[in-house]
Amino acid sequence: MTAVARVAVLHLRTVAPYRTQGLLVCGMLFLVLARNPAGVVPSLALLLAPLIAVHPFVVADKARLETLYAVLPVSRRALVLGHYAWSLACFVATAATGTVLAEVLARIEDVSYGGRTLATILTVSWLLFAVNIAVQLPLLMWFGYARVSVLGTTMPLALVMVAVLRLHLTLGWVRDRPAVLWFAGVALLTASATLAAKAPPGPRT
Amino acid sequence: MTSDLAFALRSVGCAVGGGFALRDVSFELPTGYVMGLIGANGAGKTTMIRCLLGMRAIETGEAELLGRRVPGPVELRQDIGVVLDHTALVGDWRLTEVERTLRPFYDRWDGARYRHFLDEFGLDPRARVRDLSRGMAMKLVIAVALSHHARLLVLDEPTSGLDPVARDELAGIIGDFLLDEEHSVLFSTHITADLDRIGDYVTLVHRGRVVRTGPKDEVLDSYRVVRGGPDDLGGTDGAATLVGVELIGLRRTPAGAQALVRAEEADLLDAGLLVERPTLEEIALHIGSEPSGPVGRRGGRSGAIA
Repeated sequence: MTAVARVAVLHLRTVAPYRTQGLLVCGMLFLVLARNPAGVVPSLALLLAPLIAVHPFVVADKARLETLYAVLPVSRRALVLGHYAWSLACFVATAATGTVLAEVLARIEDVSYGGRTLATILTVSWLLFAVNIAVQLPLLMWFGYARVSVLGTTMPLALVMVAVLRLHLTLGWVRDRPAVLWFAGVALLTASATLAAKAPPGPRT
Repeated sequence: MTSDLAFALRSVGCAVGGGFALRDVSFELPTGYVMGLIGANGAGKTTMIRCLLGMRAIETGEAELLGRRVPGPVELRQDIGVVLDHTALVGDWRLTEVERTLRPFYDRWDGARYRHFLDEFGLDPRARVRDLSRGMAMKLVIAVALSHHARLLVLDEPTSGLDPVARDELAGIIGDFLLDEEHSVLFSTHITADLDRIGDYVTLVHRGRVVRTGPKDEVLDSYRVVRGGPDDLGGTDGAATLVGVELIGLRRTPAGAQALVRAEEADLLDAGLLVERPTLEEIALHIGSEPSGPVGRRGGRSGAIA
């Protein structure tokens, strides 16, 4: 296992004791969106995946895990990339779960779901997740959870809302350029990781 | 870099904040020994340890750890067991999960050894970290530190808050660790009794500076504690009776006065004063009660018998 993968697994084990809370949030979203299958995956990508992805910072703040990170034989670069790898794993898991749930809901509701619709929904979900994580992780690594927890959560949502309203983005706009938008998400996360890696070592990563 | 040293700090300085800084900190430990880092709370012990471990940047001077200049490669951390004054583990982890989580990071993690220590320390593998008492939690962190075959054990105030029985057990654990002569220990504490049994070397720190460092017996021999009546050490008006003897951490009560002096100056004292070899606790007490500046040197803010 590589150092980055080891860090990602460390985060999995860090949040594992809180899985019940995660399932509760997932269940609540599912109930709210029970009649709207198309909204399941984007909602999970915007709300649940980032929540789980940054939860290691919440636990680290409480348990002072920064000390553990500092004494473990793992480089700072691996620590930073490990956060991103963990976040991507969160997206993949929530998107896969959401897709299955949405498919089930669509059949119950007798709504068309799949093919191009699904591809568009996944692209939107990916973009929402990428913006969220690209903003949150550098903030958390530079300033720590205690200082930026509220800003880190609200800023990405505000950015998405402003982008949708100002640029008049529609699902059609997304449907026409999926490859470009997936690549844009990757580029955003790469830039974010580069910025996060420049954070001074200390009680943040 | 010399490889027969477990570690060395050479003229290390770094600003910490709030006006506190490490200044010209130098001390070293040969491989195979235990060093006690003694100082009052806030003396700079933890900062020195953080500088040594590469957890805090050094602004001046240099640090060496197991023959490598700090900050060394991350692989160096495979050889260092760190026990700080808090567990730095997730409270909801069970002790079995602690092992599952940390094992992948260490090339030489020894699961059997970890379980052996849990058993020896009376720790239930199914217990959660948050349910452990302070003493039990400290034993858990020590079990972790010893389970990856570290060569250097660094303990920062591990006995703080422990009862005497747990402190005695810890001394035994460190003694066992040192059966391998390639193993070394750095142990910071303000409870000097901990070092009476296991300390080979001692470094006294005060306000971010090293006051004295060396083999424990040499440090003990380098001071004398002097006791007299309330007016014997300088008198109430500050008048002196002997010239040139620096009184370190002069403590005066209605019943008498007591101070630490350098051993080579003790012969200059009045014959009517009681002069004895101090204990580590007495040395720490007097040095720790100095108001500021370097102590044990000329020009300090100690009282003087003149």
